[in-house]
Amino acid sequence: MRRTALLILLLLAGCSVAGGGDEEGKTTVTFRLWDDQVATAYQQSFAAFEKAHPDIKVTVQLVPWADYWTKLPADIAAGTAADIFWTNTSNFGLYADNNQLLPVDVDSGWTKSVVELYTRNGKLWGVPQLWDSIALFYNKDLVSKAGVDPATLAWDPAAPTDTLRAAARKLTVDSAGKTAGQAGFTPQKIQTYGFNAAFDQQGIMWDFVGSNGGTWQSGDTFTFADQPKTVQALQYVVDLINKEHVAPPAADTNTNGDKTLQLFTQGKLALFQSGPYQLKSVQEGAGFAWGLAPMLTGPAGRVGVVHGVAAVASAKTAHPDATREVLNWIGTADGVKPIAEGGYAFPGVTAAQPAFVDYWKKQGVDLQPFLDAAAGTTFPAPVGPRVGAGGTAYTPILQQVFLGQVGVAEGLRKAQDAGNEAMKG
Amino acid sequence: MSRRNRDTVAGYAFLAPSLLGVGGFLLLPVVVVLGISLFRWDLVSPAHWTALDNYRSVLTDPAFGRSLAVTAGFVLLVIPVQTALGLAAAVLLDQRLPGSAWFRAILVLPWISAPLALGVVWRWLFDPSDGAVNQLLGHRVEWLTSPVLALPSVAAVTVWTNVGYVALFFLAGLAGIPPQYAEAARIDGAGPWQGFRRITWPLLRPTTFFVLATGGISSFQVFDTVYAMTQGGPAGRTEVVAYAIYREAFVEFRMGRAAAMSVLLFLVLITVTIAQQSYFRRRTTYEMG
Repeated sequence: MRRTALLILLLLAGCSVAGGGDEEGKTTVTFRLWDDQVATAYQQSFAAFEKAHPDIKVTVQLVPWADYWTKLPADIAAGTAADIFWTNTSNFGLYADNNQLLPVDVDSGWTKSVVELYTRNGKLWGVPQLWDSIALFYNKDLVSKAGVDPATLAWDPAAPTDTLRAAARKLTVDSAGKTAGQAGFTPQKIQTYGFNAAFDQQGIMWDFVGSNGGTWQSGDTFTFADQPKTVQALQYVVDLINKEHVAPPAADTNTNGDKTLQLFTQGKLALFQSGPYQLKSVQEGAGFAWGLAPMLTGPAGRVGVVHGVAAVASAKTAHPDATREVLNWIGTADGVKPIAEGGYAFPGVTAAQPAFVDYWKKQGVDLQPFLDAAAGTTFPAPVGPRVGAGGTAYTPILQQVFLGQVGVAEGLRKAQDAGNEAMKG
Repeated sequence: MSRRNRDTVAGYAFLAPSLLGVGGFLLLPVVVVLGISLFRWDLVSPAHWTALDNYRSVLTDPAFGRSLAVTAGFVLLVIPVQTALGLAAAVLLDQRLPGSAWFRAILVLPWISAPLALGVVWRWLFDPSDGAVNQLLGHRVEWLTSPVLALPSVAAVTVWTNVGYVALFFLAGLAGIPPQYAEAARIDGAGPWQGFRRITWPLLRPTTFFVLATGGISSFQVFDTVYAMTQGGPAGRTEVVAYAIYREAFVEFRMGRAAAMSVLLFLVLITVTIAQQSYFRRRTTYEMG
């Protein structure tokens, strides 16, 4: 009974989101995204747009990340999807391959790497909105106390130790003040962790795999378990948690994607490798001095994920002309200016990029590590029409690997099989 | 129109609102699910007719069998404990001690709260590093990620949620037993335990049946608590069948297989309910005389 009531509520909520009739002869275009902070920037952008187009109203819908990819296909099947919505590379292929999206004409002013990510079957399917690369956030107090230089850290799984492990041990401190590896150190009573090794594909796993010379996919198929370099890189990451005890336990981080961010802003984590999408949260949460260093160097150098978010238009929109107008607007430097000027993200329109870098320069943060990571060798974000389903299928198995309940090689093999099986549909 | 026909029309007119509700929200969805179970469909690409392939693939999938086993384990953990605790709470509240009205209200509070919200709160309480449970214990226990503890932890939260509801029914059952039976037993020299064992317990049988039947069906369909606390993890140890269906449909987007699993769950529940009913019909007395 109670579940029925819940479902009805959900349906009603869905209706109210999807509804929104046209007021005073205006055409309403809906725009959906998952990031509540960037949503503020879009509100500003669309306010400017509406001034220039008095006949169009743009409504911003916020759907949290946790439900985003569940709700989107259901809404598309029900015909209640937004006219324009954000998508990531893992998920857009399905919609592009099924003619659910309006193709877009390439504009030379857009970030090239993102344009490439969203080009499929010879056509571009979305307007680049923002992009991320990877760098190392660090707590200035903690690293200077431990005498660690975060810009020089390198790791090598073949060596008995390396600068990353040495630094992370020094930075990991238990309640008695002992550091990891010292006699009498108690892993159950850690107060400060050295590094955020965790089941975080974009910020940790794929960067370690890439920096070790491994890959994740071959074509659309997962091949990570077949590659010794990939297995070795993940073994190294898992060992940082369960053997070295310099990273928070997977029981804390597996199902709470914000845990490492929280630990970092609470001053309980010294080194935090992540993307520019955490800049605002770190800036607002951290009560200490922090800085950015280049991402960690592996045997194959610094090879990080560059990912981009695009806005795509639903082919089923009831007002294609107004939708085109809005899509064109968010492809201009003026359209994405609030995203850049507000310090939310690297914008997908190159001309707006300096405004973002300037915002953070004024805050005393140099974004060069992100720019360098994007300009260097990069690791391709997963692609394919069903790669999203494949990823969801392997996630629980990889989480077990991080918990230490299954061996790395064995777990990766199982995860690869489950992922490829799920991608068949 | 003859009088008889007029009566029929009038009768159906009165029934119409309920018929619409049952038809639109119950029967129609059942038919739709039966239909979907014969297709391969991911919500976005066009659906393909596959006849009974989905049923074949679900029935030969060890994961489906495992999720049924997890569900059975969950029911076996929840039902005896919540029924016993609910009965004990009802007997104690029936003593009409001072403050028992308050206790009665507090006891049902978890049951009237949204299960999703409760699940989220309990996930915080069970958090291995910062959770209140481990703070109280002074010891780190990974409640929701340990393969051994995850299912009992979810079951414990479900029991805690349902005890008040079960107790309410037993209280009503106790109130329905005329006091002269207990009095007669006392006069014949029965102690409190014998009185309960020989008089109260047999007369509570209709209530017990109701509580077991509804409790069994609802814990067979548990979803919200699992969704909020463990998402079926670790390694499927808490993947109860309703969660497996949700996962199949809205995470993996295999609507046809999910529909086939729902139909199979429906068959299992019908079988269990019929078995329960025939067992209790033979052994239940509704009359007091």
